[in-house]
Amino acid sequence: MEFANTWLPFIYLYGVGGIAFVLGMLLILRTKALRVSFERDKKWLWVLIYGFLFYAGLHATFILLAIGSY
Amino acid sequence: MDIAVGTTLDRYVILAYFAIVMGFGAYFGKYSKTTSDYFFGGRRFAWWLISISIVATGVGSHSFVKYSTKAYQYGLSSTMTYMNDWFFIPLFMFGWLPIIYYTRVRSIPEYFERRFNRTARYLATMMTLLYMIGYIAIQFLTLATALYRIYGIPLMMTVILIAIATTVYMHFGGQTSVIFTDLFQGLILIFAGLLLFFLGIQYLGDHTAFSGLQAFWMNLSPQEKLPLAHFNHPPDFNFVGIFWQDGIAGSVGFLFLNQGLIMRFMAAKSVNEGRKAAAFNVLLILPISAIVVSNAGWIGRAISNALPGVLPDGLAANDVFVAVANVVSAPGVFGFIIAALCAALMSTADTLVNASSAIIINDIYRPLAKKAKSEKRELELARWTSIAVKVIAVILVPFFNSFDSIYEAHGWFHSTFTPPLVVGVFLGIFWKRFTAPAVIATFVVGAFLMILGQFIPELISPFSHGIELRPGRGYTYIGALYNLVVCASVGVIVALFTKPDSEEKLYGLTIFDVHKLKSIFKGSPVNEEKGKNALVKWKVKDTDNNVIRFSKSDMDLMKALPGDLVYVQDSRWWLGGLKSAHSTFGEPHNEDGVAYINSMHLDHGQFVEAYQLKAEKEM
Repeated sequence: MEFANTWLPFIYLYGVGGIAFVLGMLLILRTKALRVSFERDKKWLWVLIYGFLFYAGLHATFILLAIGSY
Repeated sequence: MDIAVGTTLDRYVILAYFAIVMGFGAYFGKYSKTTSDYFFGGRRFAWWLISISIVATGVGSHSFVKYSTKAYQYGLSSTMTYMNDWFFIPLFMFGWLPIIYYTRVRSIPEYFERRFNRTARYLATMMTLLYMIGYIAIQFLTLATALYRIYGIPLMMTVILIAIATTVYMHFGGQTSVIFTDLFQGLILIFAGLLLFFLGIQYLGDHTAFSGLQAFWMNLSPQEKLPLAHFNHPPDFNFVGIFWQDGIAGSVGFLFLNQGLIMRFMAAKSVNEGRKAAAFNVLLILPISAIVVSNAGWIGRAISNALPGVLPDGLAANDVFVAVANVVSAPGVFGFIIAALCAALMSTADTLVNASSAIIINDIYRPLAKKAKSEKRELELARWTSIAVKVIAVILVPFFNSFDSIYEAHGWFHSTFTPPLVVGVFLGIFWKRFTAPAVIATFVVGAFLMILGQFIPELISPFSHGIELRPGRGYTYIGALYNLVVCASVGVIVALFTKPDSEEKLYGLTIFDVHKLKSIFKGSPVNEEKGKNALVKWKVKDTDNNVIRFSKSDMDLMKALPGDLVYVQDSRWWLGGLKSAHSTFGEPHNEDGVAYINSMHLDHGQFVEAYQLKAEKEM
């Protein structure tokens, strides 16, 4: 399978999408919309990071499984 | 292909389903006392109730048809659009959600007036209404296309009957009915979708050399197992185009501009409950929904690979869902699965109708009405408005039926109406420098440049990422990138040449003030001291003030002070806040374990004497 079919979409998705995600995180932290000094907000910070890694991991796993069955 | 049309048993199952949903929805009408209840459900529901009812809103009947088609053609990459929403979740949870909740904005266009001016509000109203009513028409059309084959009733008559059925429960119940019927229908459609997957795997196991999930997995080619499509090929299904159309424009549009979704979050009892609902929905429910809407196509593809001839060679794209359901399920079960398709339609349509009605009342009627009307009159008007919205949607159905496919009609909507609104709301929230003339220019000049791009596709070519331009058909998805760029460029340029608004005018309307919103909402300093919830009995003591009074020790337990905000609900958790009320703590009394409520709280909360109340300090 060619690169444009497997890892290129993945890199683009989490590269461009990742920029949007990181900018969003920086914005909510810098404007104090999310305050890490609050226990509840701190938990949300980890949920937000987990969500990003969860989807990246899920997509990567399926790409590896598909390549493995080639 | 002539699709089999089910059995008599299937027809009865579908009719029974409609009857149950109408009765279920009409029952909850008693919880709609004011327009706030009718449109927003009284801001009282638990996160899990909001989250599951959102499933039914997000998954429309067109989703089953659309995603099954792509799943059949391309495999697991049909899930792309359900798995790319996380990038904007931080801005939604901690930017937009607290703004709309705490500023009590009742509609997206109302935000445009507060943030910009009345002209921006009217332009936003027009675009939002066109989008939503058209969307409802597509929902009616999709289901009617499936049902008229089963019942043999002419297509337009089927559309009208479906519109009447949804009217019965919506007319009386409003948002509370919508939330509870959507909870019911959300569960039904998840169950039916997963049942179809199970039946499909069983069918493959019975007819191929493999069993269980292996029977499904081993009968797909490696290409069909990939979770993301090819980067830029073919023109009708490629990763990069769909990323910009759905992952960026679609995600922002859905999270920030879908009035139905916004109203659902505003029905949450607090912002934190709304955040929980959003996180749970995107992390767990969306991946499940992706399986629910796509699996008929995957099973169909695996059947075609392993057992050529079972599905006809000339199977039309839009018929995949019905054809596969018919092959793998028994009579009665097929009817149940089609009933789930009805669930998907009715739940999406009711949300959009309620949202359109809210916009008409909030953004057209109230600003134009010379004198304020009574709540009762407005509620009555809201109910009739929802009928009018459906009538217009039914009238629009033949127009959308003229598109080559439902997929195309749906895509046309997203690309035409979403980008200017996305740019307007996004820059409005996150850039203080963005001005009223800039947002109006975004709507007007941006829309003009978008239309130009439709007629001269060469303008979109620099953004194409190598996607092939199909003669006479233009670019299907990547046009969204062009649209976003031209709208944002116009907005930014005009903003830089116009005078920025004062800090005073923007107060509470951008992300930069989110940390102050709680005190704006409360009207006094926020009490963040962490207390415990109190379980109390209740007595009605009519007072002039809208306060609930607790004993001194109960208030100490909750760490509450007079003037703080309180939320009381029936102690049965599974009601999800249906019987609940918001109020303010009054001066303490001396009767421990008892709350003094007034008749207004009782009327709103519909509390039952035998059950205690759970009280919690909000802020």
